[in-house]
Amino acid sequence: MVMVTKVPSRPAAPRRLLRLLLATGVAATALSAVPQAAQASPAAPAAPVAQATADAKSGGATLTVAVSQSIDSLSPFLAQKLTSTSIHRLAYEYLTNYDAKDARTIPGLATAWSPSADKLTWTYTIREDSKWSDGKPATAEDAAWTFNKMMTDPNAATANGSFTANFKKVTATDPRTLVIELKKPQATMTALDVPIVPKHVWEKVGDFSKFNNDQQFPIVGNGPFVITDFKVDQYIKLKPNKTFWRGAPQFDELVFKYYKDGDAAVAALQKGEVSFVPNLTPAQAAALKSQKNIKVNDAPGRRFFAIATNPGARSQDGKTFGNGHKALLDPAVRKALFLAVDRTTIVDKVFQGHAVEGEGYIPPRFGSYFWKPENAQKRAYDPAGAEKVLDAAGYRKNGEGKRVGKDGKALDFRILCHATDPNDKAIGKYLQEWWGKLGIGLKVECLDSVSDPWVKGDYDLAFDGWSVNPDPDYVLSIHTCGTLPATPKDSGATDNFICDKEFDTLYAQQAVEYDAAKRADLVKRMQSRLYDTGYMNIMAYPNALEAYRTDQIKSITTMPEAAGNLWGQDGYWSWWSAVPTASAASSGDSDDSSPTGLILGVGAAAIILVGVGVWAARRRRTSADDRE
Amino acid sequence: MTTAKTPATTTSLVWQRRRASVARFWKQYRTHRAGLYGLTALALIALLALTAPLTVGADVQSVTEAPGTALESPSAEFPLGTDQFGRSLLGLLIWGARISLLVGLLAAALSVAIGTVVGIIAGHYGGWFSTVVMRITDWFLVMPTLVLAIVLATVMSRSMWTVVLAIGVTSWPTTARLVRAQTIAVESRPYIERATALGGGHGHVMSRHVLPNVMPLVLAQTTLGISTAILTEATLAFLGLGDPTVVSWGGMLQDAREAGAVSSGHWWYLAPPGIAIALVALAFTLCGRAVEAVLNPKLGVGR
Repeated sequence: MVMVTKVPSRPAAPRRLLRLLLATGVAATALSAVPQAAQASPAAPAAPVAQATADAKSGGATLTVAVSQSIDSLSPFLAQKLTSTSIHRLAYEYLTNYDAKDARTIPGLATAWSPSADKLTWTYTIREDSKWSDGKPATAEDAAWTFNKMMTDPNAATANGSFTANFKKVTATDPRTLVIELKKPQATMTALDVPIVPKHVWEKVGDFSKFNNDQQFPIVGNGPFVITDFKVDQYIKLKPNKTFWRGAPQFDELVFKYYKDGDAAVAALQKGEVSFVPNLTPAQAAALKSQKNIKVNDAPGRRFFAIATNPGARSQDGKTFGNGHKALLDPAVRKALFLAVDRTTIVDKVFQGHAVEGEGYIPPRFGSYFWKPENAQKRAYDPAGAEKVLDAAGYRKNGEGKRVGKDGKALDFRILCHATDPNDKAIGKYLQEWWGKLGIGLKVECLDSVSDPWVKGDYDLAFDGWSVNPDPDYVLSIHTCGTLPATPKDSGATDNFICDKEFDTLYAQQAVEYDAAKRADLVKRMQSRLYDTGYMNIMAYPNALEAYRTDQIKSITTMPEAAGNLWGQDGYWSWWSAVPTASAASSGDSDDSSPTGLILGVGAAAIILVGVGVWAARRRRTSADDRE
Repeated sequence: MTTAKTPATTTSLVWQRRRASVARFWKQYRTHRAGLYGLTALALIALLALTAPLTVGADVQSVTEAPGTALESPSAEFPLGTDQFGRSLLGLLIWGARISLLVGLLAAALSVAIGTVVGIIAGHYGGWFSTVVMRITDWFLVMPTLVLAIVLATVMSRSMWTVVLAIGVTSWPTTARLVRAQTIAVESRPYIERATALGGGHGHVMSRHVLPNVMPLVLAQTTLGISTAILTEATLAFLGLGDPTVVSWGGMLQDAREAGAVSSGHWWYLAPPGIAIALVALAFTLCGRAVEAVLNPKLGVGR
């Protein structure tokens, strides 16, 4: 899908089995870490260090990128996670692309496009110089087949169905012309983030819900790179597409290598084993900044980080389900909760300044759509105000200082947190204390996979976050009634079971609005409405904090070009544009980093300490026995 | 021992005997120097943990009232530096001892309790019942403890009690096997036969005769089990399976890893909790070995 992809794993129910497998994988990894951890825990973090030194292999210029998020599927019809969709950007062309400088629409597979007078028929001219990696030309026929498949087979619409739901008919009138007829106007026609797949390969696929596109390599595509190999949670390898119309990438190989542990990835970067590491912690960024040959990129991100409240999960057939706390249905409670959240502290302490304080739903980076509340509307940090709101709404403190509702039920909430995300846990600690002072209890439930309780509606509050694309349609669509699951047993595209008439009306209006300024205005009104409901409380827009080796990568394009990010771009710019240094072709050798040695030393010392102790104890015993 | 001149009731006699055996035990224990070191270390750590509310106070856990800035290096104010929230690491280390010790003790107690009950019942009844119970025990024995504990900790909600349960439920088979063997040995003595002849039922034999005789073994096993339990607790917390809202040593290591302390070289964040875990585990092992040697000298001969 692509429009938006949540960085921590998120509801995508059909792939529960996969998750289970992954969970098993994690358990297995954990297991392998055990002998170290069991002997003396300080030694445990040393394991990855040893691994990092293991193979400093050489060869042509290889660009290695450390990733941690698992691939949900390599099929463009199923993939929703950021890693997968980023790789599809590299392997397949989309009709249009976003300019690296300012994210405006630029030609992709289509060189030109024009709507009819009534804006219901769109004609795209497909470029002549794009070829599939097996030598066949990429034509309008392929694009038409891709869209038609998504319109006719619900299994093929899993990831990007929101784009084609409004399509009436898609035809290729000749190999260079694609015609899309719409039921009603659609504002996203120049931002159709759908990978176009080769018809001659994909028409042989039977069940689209099961085909993961990971059996035959290389995978036929027409993007700047070709996927040549993939091992679950180990690596994804890509080779440059020498015939790519925009020009072939400079590196001889692009490898996405898995590091489930952030510190291991950083150690590998220090050793020169990987060229690029995303998602750094503030401490890692600070430590890397002072090292030579490493550049830290700290850029405004395209994600928001929010607290979602369960608005009472329900399905399209009107049934409610899940066990969300009833008190959260009261707007006063939601308001009070958020009044007691100090977003400046979260930005300063948890993100240590590498984030921007949260306001509206869309990050400030997307200037034309960015909205922030007026002073009168704003829920600024005001714990005293929160007390008043709760008192007025009838939630009084009882003898133990706990707030109790009129039904006598205490305000004890749960918050769903991603066990893999340290920020979730850290913010959870602050929330516990802030809300504790209000007399509201909070239990932080950290899970490896939050999807199960989330899809079932079994949560009160949850940490939520999405990456926003230049066109905000998708991130807005996930809060409309239409995306609720059909029945309580299904899973819908909905993020948080929000179903609000006013929001939906505005959504429908913006979807058919072709005037950019008017549409932006509607999008802002939607954000204002969402803010007032209190279902999505944006706390921060985290920066993209990432680092790369300057002795391996000579230059690389950020997006936007000024102060932009490298990982998770809305295009293939970073990896396509990366230029290797002269020395990168030879081996990636390392400067001996003292912290690593130090930690190894501490770990070894602890092991020796235990070892000596046990040995001494045994020796004493044996000698005592001998004397007897 | 020497004061038993007055007409002694049964109870006072029993107490006298117990006092005497404790004194005898202590006298022998004192000869094991390593055991004494272990005991001293434990006493010190226990004292620190118990007085923690007075010395550092529960406020040390508070993130909103953290005194320092993030990840400070050691200074006069913060001898071990601060964590990513600006909390004093020394304070957290002392406070974390409470959870680590508590979980270790409870888990070991639970594990040994399950093991003792299973072992005595299996040893006492024998026959097909014993076979069935022991096969179940074997199943748990061959099952990698940590994997089972991870599964349990993952499935259940994240809390301290989950960790206690996960460790307790997975580490009892060794105790069960030991206790069963001892039970069979005890029950082959003639006085058990006499007790049965005098009308002692299953419950009487198991609780009045077998249990007191396997107690020394159980005691030694508990002491040794605690160090394993503390290590497992730390491992689980380090793997992120503990309760993220309580401070424990394993949890501190996990926090350090998540903050990126390893790659940024903040050794003062990593080393102290690790060394503390190693020290406590070592102290319990030393004590356990000494206790084992005193109570059951034969146990060590083969090694």
